[in-house]
Amino acid sequence: MKRVIIVFLLFMGMQYVGAQTEVPRISVSFANTPAEDALSEIESKTSYSFFYLSDWLKGLRVTGSFQDVPISTVLESIFKDTVLNYFIMDSERIYLMQNNQIYDALPNDFFGAQEQVEDDFPQYDQLQDIGPLFVGSDDNNRGLQVVKIGRENRNSRRRSFTLNGRALNARSGQPIPDLAIIVEGKDIGTSTNANGNYSLELPIGENIITTRGLGIEESRTKVILYNDGSHDFQLDESVEALDEVVVQANIDRNVETAITGVTLIEVEKIKNIPLVLGERDVLKAAITLPGITTAGEGASGYNVRGGRTDQNLILLDNGVIYNPSHFFGIFSAINPFTTGAVEIFKGHIPAEFGGRLSSVFDITSKDANTEKFAGEASIGPVTSNIVLETPIIKDKAALMVGGRATYSDWILETLDDEQLNNSTASFFDVLAKYNHTINENNEIKATGYFSRDEFSITSDSIFDYSNRLVSLGWDHKFSEKTTGSLILSNSEYRFGIEFDGESNNDFDLGYKNNETEFKYRMKYIPGGKHTLDFGIASKLYVVDPGNIDPLGADSDVSSLVIPREKGLESAVFISDSYKVNDKLLIDMGLRFSFYAALGAGQQRIYQDNAPRNSGTLVETQEFDENEVIETFGGPEVRLSARYFLAPDFSVKASVNNAFQYIHTLSNNTTVSPTDTWKLSDLNIKPQEAYQASLGFYKNFDGNKYELSLEGYYKEQRNLLDYKVGAQLLLNEAIEQEVLQGDGQAYGVEFLVKKNEGKLNGWLGYTYSRSFVKLDSEFNEERINNGEFFPSNFDKPHDISVVANYKFTRRFSASANFVYQTGRPVTFPIGSFAFNNSEFVFYSDRNKFRIPDYYRLDLSFNMEGNHKIKKFAHSFWSFSIYNVLGRNNPYSVFFVTEDGDIKAFQSSIFAIPVPTITYNFKF
Amino acid sequence: MSSAIGKFVIVGQCFILLLVTSCIEPFNATFEDFESALVIEATITNETKQQEIFLTRSYEFDDEGPTPEVNANVSINDSEGNTYVFEDQGNGLYLSTETFAAESGQDYQLSVTTRDGRSYRSDQVQLKTGTGIDQITAERITDDDGQDGMAILVDSFDPSGTSKNYRYEYEETYRVIAPTWWPIKLVPEAEFGCNMILVANNDLARVCYPTNRSNQIILTSTEDLAEDRVDNFMVRFISSENYIISHRYSILVRQYVQSDEAFNFYSTLLEFSSSESLFSQTQPGFLQGNVFSNDNSEERVLGFFEVSTVSEQRIFFNYDDFYPGEELPPYVDPCGTSAPVIANMGGCVLRPLIESGAGVYAGDSGAQPSDNQGPYLVTRRVCGDCSVLGPPEIPEFWTE
Repeated sequence: MKRVIIVFLLFMGMQYVGAQTEVPRISVSFANTPAEDALSEIESKTSYSFFYLSDWLKGLRVTGSFQDVPISTVLESIFKDTVLNYFIMDSERIYLMQNNQIYDALPNDFFGAQEQVEDDFPQYDQLQDIGPLFVGSDDNNRGLQVVKIGRENRNSRRRSFTLNGRALNARSGQPIPDLAIIVEGKDIGTSTNANGNYSLELPIGENIITTRGLGIEESRTKVILYNDGSHDFQLDESVEALDEVVVQANIDRNVETAITGVTLIEVEKIKNIPLVLGERDVLKAAITLPGITTAGEGASGYNVRGGRTDQNLILLDNGVIYNPSHFFGIFSAINPFTTGAVEIFKGHIPAEFGGRLSSVFDITSKDANTEKFAGEASIGPVTSNIVLETPIIKDKAALMVGGRATYSDWILETLDDEQLNNSTASFFDVLAKYNHTINENNEIKATGYFSRDEFSITSDSIFDYSNRLVSLGWDHKFSEKTTGSLILSNSEYRFGIEFDGESNNDFDLGYKNNETEFKYRMKYIPGGKHTLDFGIASKLYVVDPGNIDPLGADSDVSSLVIPREKGLESAVFISDSYKVNDKLLIDMGLRFSFYAALGAGQQRIYQDNAPRNSGTLVETQEFDENEVIETFGGPEVRLSARYFLAPDFSVKASVNNAFQYIHTLSNNTTVSPTDTWKLSDLNIKPQEAYQASLGFYKNFDGNKYELSLEGYYKEQRNLLDYKVGAQLLLNEAIEQEVLQGDGQAYGVEFLVKKNEGKLNGWLGYTYSRSFVKLDSEFNEERINNGEFFPSNFDKPHDISVVANYKFTRRFSASANFVYQTGRPVTFPIGSFAFNNSEFVFYSDRNKFRIPDYYRLDLSFNMEGNHKIKKFAHSFWSFSIYNVLGRNNPYSVFFVTEDGDIKAFQSSIFAIPVPTITYNFKF
Repeated sequence: MSSAIGKFVIVGQCFILLLVTSCIEPFNATFEDFESALVIEATITNETKQQEIFLTRSYEFDDEGPTPEVNANVSINDSEGNTYVFEDQGNGLYLSTETFAAESGQDYQLSVTTRDGRSYRSDQVQLKTGTGIDQITAERITDDDGQDGMAILVDSFDPSGTSKNYRYEYEETYRVIAPTWWPIKLVPEAEFGCNMILVANNDLARVCYPTNRSNQIILTSTEDLAEDRVDNFMVRFISSENYIISHRYSILVRQYVQSDEAFNFYSTLLEFSSSESLFSQTQPGFLQGNVFSNDNSEERVLGFFEVSTVSEQRIFFNYDDFYPGEELPPYVDPCGTSAPVIANMGGCVLRPLIESGAGVYAGDSGAQPSDNQGPYLVTRRVCGDCSVLGPPEIPEFWTE
């Protein structure tokens, strides 16, 4: 996460920087004028403003007279004897930078180790040139900063010395990692590590050292080396005059980070994945990567590494989205135009996150453009989308508003079929984000989000659901080393069904849950090898598990309200990213979570050592408002480490565990519209997971190819499952239907990626298994003889290929192929006669599988011309989903018709679906 | 409530038809893993009688029906050491050799050893005591689907509040009058030949009393109610279009007070038989009863052994009581007539029709031989002989 932010800041930083354009001329004279006053005078005579710290100019006085000279001449004169550099930007701003210090003295103990050093002396006969060092004067390098290192030691016969030090950002004081340090003409070089440290073996005498880094101004320094010594580079951010900067960030992230099982998806990079119904979808892109699957087309909810769909914490700007999909998952509810990136943690989950077992989908909206008005829009066959960004306070605050909606309702109305034009199918989502940089130490961000779906399931019922989210964030920098973030968020998920049929059983059914979170997170970099993150979080859940009311005066449905549930989940967390040495990086995290189920409420107490049913119910206990019903909690270890076997080859390992206190109730394999969330209470224990992973990561050919192989083993406790025949909706005594058992999952994930070139893309293969065990000493609570059986989403083989081919800069084609083993289902295996009628009986749970799933999508993309300055950039995409027309069964079910049992399959996209979409950006 | 949800569930198939190019189509499932499982249906009651147990085997979807489990050793032991032996009566029915009634405070356990030597044993089960039926009433109502008809309603009340789980079965018996019954009938004139003659009808039945057993699981629970009262619970609805209420109708309703385990078993089974779709909220799986194999814990045994308190009541009503002056419901068959020729080029026509029992005499046609029709009207047998539907004898319990 930290990395992403840095990259973004750099990126922003560079957009500020304009061209070093034609400099106007100025006439001015100073006589021992304080520098600050001199600058004010320049400001008054020109359109320039200066940006600097007063401290830098203390004591500096300026004398000189200038007639019609470029402003740079004046500035050069003013700053000639100082360590200050200046940069002119956009003909209006001049930034002063405090530049490198010259070290003219070494620490007193510097020569303490001299004798030892002498042991390493090369043999005399190998030395060719002994004697005093003469520094030549070289016209080319005149004006270079000259650094002399070490006192010349006349007795020394060494011809090379070690230079070490750090590279620091002159403005922020932050270390600069991955900076190339090259000695001109000598084929010597190194790069700084994550903390900006470097070490170089240099020949004695004069060396011209060049530094190059991403977003860092190139520097040249003449180093005259007399002995071992150190030199810190104080470097400025680069001020290259570019209209567009392409930053290749994170190119070696795969190998470099300490944590396992993390995936970053940047919206820009998924532009070429074939689309379904014209939607570029960041979550759809996620399922082409190993370890993340869905139950099938039209299934919302993700199964990550053999976990249930309710075990994913899906965050949009730190607020939770409970149902991130439209139309049962055909579209995701995340607007691609407002989304910056999605980071998915499926192995090691950082300690700051908790409350879900399998994964965290950390979706961040992009920051609105504070520079100028901008926008992006798309027109597709089913939806249209528009996003606008506008500065509120130039360079400081901006607002982004994005919205997306279907016009399927309108299409339905134009149809002749009466049943169809009376039905409804619509969705929309809107997002607004405000970001405001108050000053260099304070930044606030606010996000509001709302999505809603409404459609007819049948001609006489309307189903709707909505997500609502508000989040506020305040980032505050206490000092160079300490930053803090305050996050407040509230989200609500609800669904409702209105049934308005012919007879007297019309009803209106509703479900709602709401959570409010407070989180304070701090980052402290004490310097050296540690980076600490710590904080607290607390979340209040309020769940209204369901109510039903009669609809209309002549409905005989009686009202029922399942009592509200409340819970408070709190946590403290700390993690330390500890760099043991250049090769070993350890991320040690610990989270302690604590949950309290709160009243008011009723809890049913059952006999010990008896199955839970209405017969073993002992009593019902009443709890008052906010009375603690039951508490759970425990430590969650988040430990991960990376070791470099070679500079581009690393091995990582992690172990972690987590608790989850809120669960979905769903006995559909897939997320169904009537799934509800249930809090842990006296009868429902929290789910727990323990995962260990080990992975190898190798980049080839300058990060052009990425290869990773990662394995995991996971055990879970108290997973929710259901008795045969369980009824979940509007059931007050839900614990009588629920079973809690163990889960076991393991797998190997292989991914090879080609990041550049005409042909790029990736291939992922996952072998994974996921099992559940529901055992009990009581028959009615035992499934499949109490042995492990494949979970609903156990799909051993999963292959995904995404390939893009660029014909030219404007034309490209892409393909996407998916193959998955069919998921397990429970089939009826025979009939029997009972009670004078005929019934089917089912196999053991999940004994069969539906047919394997495979699908090929193709798309062809055409971008508008690449003139950089034109008003709008356009992008056409023509795609065909399911080119092979494979009829992939989504579910299989059985119906008794005329006394015969018939099998049916349902599928969502059984034929190729072509789509054309037009996008433009301005 | 549940019925309302069930309704949208069942229809919910092509909900996003516009976007979704294909929804539901037949699926060629291969049910290769069929296993023949023992099915036990055993409800022992507190009535003193020869108790009944049914043993059948499960069957494949393509098969016609269950095969009975024959010649099994079946017995029930109680906790006082009594053993009640059951004997195979054919068709899967086993009757206890002696009469007995289940008593409270006893543990009962069923043991079955099949012909092939596999043995099975049930859990220990106690008699679930409970209340009896207060009354049964028949009422003319319009049901939820707007259909006019007769509802058979049950009232029951348990002041102690312990009964709670009720299961119902019924047996309905009704008088049927064959609409085209004639006192004369057709018989062949001679051993050979196609000619038929009319003789006195002394065997085809005009009035019959068919009996049907309930073939659904009928359950109700008072668990969520303030008191343990079953109030006007409808066990049977007969449409006013149904011929069975045309004359006189009688229904015997049996109420079983069930244990929680038995009630759960029956209610889950009921949900399975009515769960039919994509958004079904019922978790499918093997429904475990309370009978297990002694030899192989993985062998599936279907069915349930329960010991429950039973009570029964019978009522009668006539069509006139509720539909005075109204037209009778249509008969089970429209009873159209035809006049087949005696014989044609292929041989006899009328004779095999009558002899096979498919048709009966329904009057003279009055047709001329040139009309290419026969002299006698013939109708489907059920119209002139109701014994196809049920026995002509007046049942013992029948009252007028």
